Amino acid sequence: MSDEVHHDPDVPQEDYMSGLRMARRDFLVKSGLVAAAAAAAPGWLQTEQAAAAIKASTSAGAARDSIASSAVAAAKQFEGFAMGRINEAGPQALDDKNFSGPLWEKLTGIETKLTEAPFAQIRTKIIAENLAKSGALDSVEVSPAWIPDFADQGVIIPIDSLIRKNKAQATVADLHPLYRALARYKGKTWGFFDDGDVWALYYRKDIFSNAKLKAAYKAKFKRDLRVPRGWDEFNQVAQFITDQMAPKVYGTGMGRALGNPGNQFYFFQQFRANGGRFFNPQTMKAEISNAIAVRTMKQILLQNEASPPGVEKLDFVSGWGLWLQGKTAMIMAWPPTGRISENISQRDKAFSFLPKSQIVGKVGYARVPGQNGEHAGAFIKCVMATSENKEAAYLFNQWATSPSVSLQRVMLPYTLRDPYRISHYRAPSYKKLWKGADQYLVTLAEAANDAVLDLSMSGAGDYANALDRSMTSMYAGKDVKDALDEAAREWDSITNKLGVAKQRASYAIFLKYPGATSKNTVRKLGQAVKV
Amino acid sequence: MRDAALDRPRTEGPGSIRVVRGGRFRPGGVVRFVFIGLYVGFLVLPLYWMAVTSIKGQDDQLSEPPVWFPSDPTSVNYADALNRFNGWKGLENSLIVAFITTFLAVLLGTAAAYSMARYRTGKHLAFWFLSQRMMPPIAIIIPIFLLYSRYAEEWFGFTLIDTRTGLVLLYTVFALPFTVWMMYAYFRQMPPELEEAALVDGCSRLQALGKVAWPLAAPGIVSAAAFAFIFSWTEFLFAQVLARDHAVTVPVALAGMITFFQGNLYGQASALTMVSLIPAVLLGILVQRHLVRGLTLGAVQG
Amino acid sequence: MATRAERIGRRRPTAVSSWVDRHIGWLLVSPAVLIVVALTIFPLGFSLWLAFVQYDFTLGPEHPWVGLDNFVENWKDPVWRASLWRTVWFSVTMVAIELVLGMLLALAMLRPFRARRVLMTLFVIPLFISPVVVGGFFDLFVRRPYGVANQLASWVWPGTVTVDFTNDSPWLYLVLIMADVWQWTPFMFVILLAGLSAIPDTLYEAADLDGAKPRQSFFFVTLPLLVPIILIAVTFRLIDAAKLFDIIFSLTRGGPGTDTYTTSYYLYQQGFEFFHLGQGTAGAWMFLIMLSFVSFWLVRRLLKPVEENSL
Repeated sequence: MSDEVHHDPDVPQEDYMSGLRMARRDFLVKSGLVAAAAAAAPGWLQTEQAAAAIKASTSAGAARDSIASSAVAAAKQFEGFAMGRINEAGPQALDDKNFSGPLWEKLTGIETKLTEAPFAQIRTKIIAENLAKSGALDSVEVSPAWIPDFADQGVIIPIDSLIRKNKAQATVADLHPLYRALARYKGKTWGFFDDGDVWALYYRKDIFSNAKLKAAYKAKFKRDLRVPRGWDEFNQVAQFITDQMAPKVYGTGMGRALGNPGNQFYFFQQFRANGGRFFNPQTMKAEISNAIAVRTMKQILLQNEASPPGVEKLDFVSGWGLWLQGKTAMIMAWPPTGRISENISQRDKAFSFLPKSQIVGKVGYARVPGQNGEHAGAFIKCVMATSENKEAAYLFNQWATSPSVSLQRVMLPYTLRDPYRISHYRAPSYKKLWKGADQYLVTLAEAANDAVLDLSMSGAGDYANALDRSMTSMYAGKDVKDALDEAAREWDSITNKLGVAKQRASYAIFLKYPGATSKNTVRKLGQAVKV
Repeated sequence: MRDAALDRPRTEGPGSIRVVRGGRFRPGGVVRFVFIGLYVGFLVLPLYWMAVTSIKGQDDQLSEPPVWFPSDPTSVNYADALNRFNGWKGLENSLIVAFITTFLAVLLGTAAAYSMARYRTGKHLAFWFLSQRMMPPIAIIIPIFLLYSRYAEEWFGFTLIDTRTGLVLLYTVFALPFTVWMMYAYFRQMPPELEEAALVDGCSRLQALGKVAWPLAAPGIVSAAAFAFIFSWTEFLFAQVLARDHAVTVPVALAGMITFFQGNLYGQASALTMVSLIPAVLLGILVQRHLVRGLTLGAVQG
Repeated sequence: MATRAERIGRRRPTAVSSWVDRHIGWLLVSPAVLIVVALTIFPLGFSLWLAFVQYDFTLGPEHPWVGLDNFVENWKDPVWRASLWRTVWFSVTMVAIELVLGMLLALAMLRPFRARRVLMTLFVIPLFISPVVVGGFFDLFVRRPYGVANQLASWVWPGTVTVDFTNDSPWLYLVLIMADVWQWTPFMFVILLAGLSAIPDTLYEAADLDGAKPRQSFFFVTLPLLVPIILIAVTFRLIDAAKLFDIIFSLTRGGPGTDTYTTSYYLYQQGFEFFHLGQGTAGAWMFLIMLSFVSFWLVRRLLKPVEENSL
């Protein structure tokens, strides 16, 4: 019962079920013993992904990835060093514990000491460590929204000189332009991008090709049922599906729980797709309570009506649960959705908190309505300024995000990391993972071409939280305009507290990133990636 | 003695066995047992749900209507929680920290309480101890973090961050108010005749404490210990901030499972909770015999 | 025949031991005091300094003195005021319910019956579960569409129940209070049961001889003797309830909006997640002072020195 064994997707279902039956028979004792044994045995060494990563890092032939291997070679001098890392508690941490940590140690002799924290506390722990200067953290996971503050306050160091020293420029060139820009701030590179968290629309192909449904839709709305291109159309289609098929299937069902994932993402995306902007760039007054904003919120509220009851408190994974059980027809979500819908990762017990997918092969991929998907969250691997061995931390980051190693990591189910390199989108091994995988990769690349970014400036967290909270109070019945006005007031007071001039400068920097508004996406800048 | 008093049927007052008009608690009264039954139901329902969640497979976790008992129970959550999400480490650390904290808090607390009750070493001390508990964590959490990680290193040469020692010290300070107060009230109500007799006979005051007062106070000590243990066993915020990977305790491991960004591992969290209840229940059984007896005031019959 | 002293094992006093004896009061109390002081003096001092300076991650590494600005900032924020009010009524309600429930339970369990030992062990279990987890499980319990709460309610209520327990007030508050009551009633129960069983029967016999009915003997015999115990239990419980944080953190995260913010959670957000540490610390000190007043009033009766039981 080693949980690292890679299962062939063609192996029939029975093995999984017999595993459960055996567990029922020898409940506590066996699980305890076997689990202890599994924990002791280095099962990870036997996986394909690990083997591929090792090969890329050490071999001398065509399989060699020079970025990975040069990092390994340079890091060997630091053998015996204990590198401090921080990652999100839960499945994300399993990457450090089961894959990159042990592999790196095997290749270089550098041990990983991992701190796990709930997402909401990662930023605080990094700041606290920066205050403590105890050298406990070396390589850290930083969300792009935190980069401006971290860079300005000297929490992380720029890595341009280290990139030049290690001749790793090629690794940066391989990134999708959207992600390449995110790691740069004020003309310097601050880390290695590591997670392509762009939202796409996932929909049920079978529902959209259902003849009866199509006829009924045509009769009612005088046009064909198709994957919606705009949000009003989305609401119409979602409500229609709910009317026809609830409670078996609902049109949509995206988790609206506070902080999980965080309603600000929904607003950021739709608001900008509708043409809105966050601040007036000159006065820095918040413009999130204007007519566009009200319209956006009303659209979001209509989506809630087409969703299963309880969606206001639904957390993101429960939303996934509904989707995997086939209860929702369309969701806008993070890239792991595509992988987990196909059960390729269900064989691994890594995702044991999700039900088995009932919709294998029925999932289609499209760009988010409004065409500008949100790039929500993501992680960048940075080096702490208080690290006692910055070069070792940097080399780990370079190795883990190198094209070949990162390819393995974005194929692993439990890391929840998603494709972000041009080489990922084109990788043959990825396309073979399941039948629609090539379509999936194309959609992700196109979504990144049109994506808009999270607000990423000084005080980003405060702004996001204020918005998230006001949206939840709206779900609980507060009047839309009142709630938005209150959020706008909070935004203005945050701006004042941090200093209007400072915020104006910070916002101006943000506006220059590709994807800051729907008018300067990667595609509009002419840098679209064709897969 | 106390035990007998507990078990002998009461003839007077609440819970008595005399038939009384209009009494709420008649002997074997239906009302009484219905009430207890309702409370047990209220108590057990979430516990049952926790237990059942821990053996549900992934399909049953998020099914609607909710599954009351899975047709295919699995132990996968236990294996996961213990091995992949710091379960074993959490249990080990929690046990060690809780036991040592309890020992220290009881030892120091009882000594201090005895002194305050018998020797009047400052009535303001009592309130000062109490006030330690009133501070909202946020006011001191970053200073303590800095103290443990940076200043301890600078001033004393060792770091306390992510160490069990650090947690023990902190938890002792948090638990002391309760142990001091419990034993303080206890000693105050305890007539000093026996100790006075011992002193008259020539014992030193230390001996009076050690050989006379301490044994008599044993039941109270047991209950103070129980609560000190409970506090260390369930404390979350400071453990989360001060621990990295060595000193992870059970609440931290649990919080990591139910508060992460993209979901909640309820199966694993309930599995770990179930396992962490085992030492708790064992202790409960051991202690409950003394728990009620111990909290009694005026226990000394003379 | 051995004297009492010999039986106890008294040794011949030495100079050291008589010095110890004379100063026993201070010696006994000093380890506890020392450890508390050692561990709190720096944090408290630093914390006090934090309340009066600008200490905010986004504002930069300088910490100029800002006087009372941090305190004022808190009061200007309507969320602070609302949280304070909510903390008051939450803690009072929770402690009151726990007290009454605990008392009823203690009275009901006072008389021994066969299953009592087992039930007592069962009753203390909630105390051993971390509040974060309790909040998490109550959330799982009530949330739709996977939670059981609506299904259960539909069994006892005519018709189907479709309440959103985590979004609609007042149900939202009901769930929070229930979670806290579930966890902490055992605390009250244990303490009150002990107090009740300490009351000697002779007092009840005397009352009965005087013609008192059980209800009267409860109010005139039982309660007065229980007052010190009730005060301790209520004080400690109230202090902890006022710092209510863990359950909010895992059940509602303060939402919807800021409807379930308590002072502790508000300060955690301000000082910890957003790192407006100066402001958060100032708020915490204000809260501490308020809480001190309340608890001082509660325990001052208990603080009166009892001269007759000193040595």
